[in-house]
Amino acid sequence: MLVVKDASKRYGDFTALQQINLEFNTGLYGLLAPNGAGKTTLIKMLATLITPSEGEIQYNGKNILEMDEQYRELLGFLPQQFGYYKNFSPKQYMLYLAALKGIGKKEALHKINELLDKVALSDVVNKKMKKFSGGMIQRVGIAQALLNDPKILILDEPTAGLDPKERARFRHLLTELARDRLVIISTHIVSDIESIANEVIMIKNKQLLYKDSVEEICATLNGNVFETTIDFESLKAFRKKFVLLSEKQEYGKIIVRFIHKGVPEVEWISVPPQLEDVFLYEYRDEIEGEV
Amino acid sequence: MMLIILNECKKALTSPILIGLFIVFSAFNVFVIISSSDHKEELKMLNEIIDQYGRDITDNSLNRFESDIQIDLAKLNRMTASEFTSVYDFLDGLRFEDQEKYSDEQWLFIHRLQLKEMYLNMAKSIDESYEAMDIKKMGEAEIEKYLLSGNAAETLLHEYEKLSERFEEMVNNGEHKEWFFAGKAYFMHSFLFKTVFLHIIIESLLLIVLTTSLITTYEFESKTHLVAYSTKRGRKLMKDKLFASLAIATTIIVFLFAITLGTFFSVFDYSHVWKTSISSAFNWEYNFPYVAWWDLSVGTFLIGVIALVFIVLLLFVGLTFAISIAVKNSYISFFLIAAVFVLLWLLPSFMPTSSTLLFVFAYTLPTLLLAIRYSFMGSSGLILFENFEWMTMSCWTIITIVVGFMSYKRFLKIDIH
Repeated sequence: MLVVKDASKRYGDFTALQQINLEFNTGLYGLLAPNGAGKTTLIKMLATLITPSEGEIQYNGKNILEMDEQYRELLGFLPQQFGYYKNFSPKQYMLYLAALKGIGKKEALHKINELLDKVALSDVVNKKMKKFSGGMIQRVGIAQALLNDPKILILDEPTAGLDPKERARFRHLLTELARDRLVIISTHIVSDIESIANEVIMIKNKQLLYKDSVEEICATLNGNVFETTIDFESLKAFRKKFVLLSEKQEYGKIIVRFIHKGVPEVEWISVPPQLEDVFLYEYRDEIEGEV
Repeated sequence: MMLIILNECKKALTSPILIGLFIVFSAFNVFVIISSSDHKEELKMLNEIIDQYGRDITDNSLNRFESDIQIDLAKLNRMTASEFTSVYDFLDGLRFEDQEKYSDEQWLFIHRLQLKEMYLNMAKSIDESYEAMDIKKMGEAEIEKYLLSGNAAETLLHEYEKLSERFEEMVNNGEHKEWFFAGKAYFMHSFLFKTVFLHIIIESLLLIVLTTSLITTYEFESKTHLVAYSTKRGRKLMKDKLFASLAIATTIIVFLFAITLGTFFSVFDYSHVWKTSISSAFNWEYNFPYVAWWDLSVGTFLIGVIALVFIVLLLFVGLTFAISIAVKNSYISFFLIAAVFVLLWLLPSFMPTSSTLLFVFAYTLPTLLLAIRYSFMGSSGLILFENFEWMTMSCWTIITIVVGFMSYKRFLKIDIH
């Protein structure tokens, strides 16, 4: 269906992505990586906003840049920073975007009402967007991406600004949408996709690290994730020795979750790895760097 | 696509700054015209003269005019119980306390007679003034004035030779012997084509450059570019933005012209002079009369100038579009266009006075616009060239299309971040 073939992106001497090969079919794909890993570059290439320096992206065997309108007609896109006209209402703005998507006014009006209802904005259809909260704007963004009933839905950090209740509703909506289309979500929040993604893609050092199911990716750390209780005093030494995934205080002691590849000690409890564990383990340098 | 273009137009039409500017500019133009209309009643005298003696000044019509003035003079003499041969004699000898001797009606009569005499005297002096004119010598004077040498001097002299031929042809045709509002008294040509037209030009330019750069860069400035350019229409949206900018520019020009010229011609009655030649001897304001390269009537000249301005302003839409796509910021685009305008206008002053480049680099849109009153004229100093208007327009149309096309093609390929 959608295939990324040896795609690289370079800006002068700087390489943003290197030799990426991916294949997408119907279903939900989670693009998981820390900020600055190249997720947005890949997403923008898929949205034809930027051109690969090398390689190409094909849809059903045809280069998407050559397909031009034919490809973008199938595309629904929510960028990371969703811009909007402050003095427009969601309805006015979506009518404009519907025109750009080649949808007639009558059809668009019907669709806009349906979608704004779906993202729980039906009571502010005609209110100016400058009065909207971040979460409301994001929901307008999601609704506009669905205007043309896209075969390919690409959402870049779609949950930013959404509260927990909205996130839950959004996950439900995505699962429903992914039944008969390709949905790609880029995020650095593991919980957004852990329970719903058919496959997770991870990018590291500008290259593809994993493209697999959550189970398979977690399996890479099978038998290497442990939990144990330690004293505060030994925490510093522990941190130096192992890759710590989490720390939790309990009854004056600390329960640590960590990775160890080798023979475990007796008091350690082996626990099943979670996607978050893989994320923290693989990106430990970058995450520490960020902190 | 129509729907998209309408949406793009709406962005400019709902901009409070642009609407505000348009209203202020229109009001200003109306104010300028009305505040300079003290002599509008006097101008009607010429319409009466044309009604009575025809548009062409012939010996016969002048004789009739003169004998009618003699009748009026006789009436003046009866009124004043004197023997004046000209109303000016009466006015020169007039004392302050004499003014109350005459009724308003009599003063009106005296004033009308004064105007008639002025027109008659001017008409009678045409032949003498035109005979004294040596176009080639004027060319030499220009060369001295601007310190031209080499090719530049030769080219200018050659053009003045051509103008000399045209001048002779014009005199033989009698194009100059047609009634028009007295130039040295009212400066109507300068008022309309310099003051009023320059207002329209500068105001339209400001509005057009602002609207075009606003429409073109709107998505980048509202940060909606990632959504808009990834839709089905994609980057071809820029093409719609160009059409929208042209449509809005046309609307601005049409309305600004309609309001301003509508006011002008309802204040000043031009109904009798539309067919008068623009090269009329009466249209002589400064050192040299306006001499057009072709036999153009005032009406045709006006239409020609409006067409010129309209096309040049649309070319500025194209140039602004090309710059705006590249810089993606409406303010920077505005200042770049302003800088380009000034640079192009100053360009000839950087050229050596011995080279024809001096003339070539005057073939620019700013020069054409700022010297609009001299359009189609041979009497316009260093831009007198017969081909000046059409060459400037053709070259700049090509330049604008090429630059606009290249800028658009580049935009189709560049990364949008």
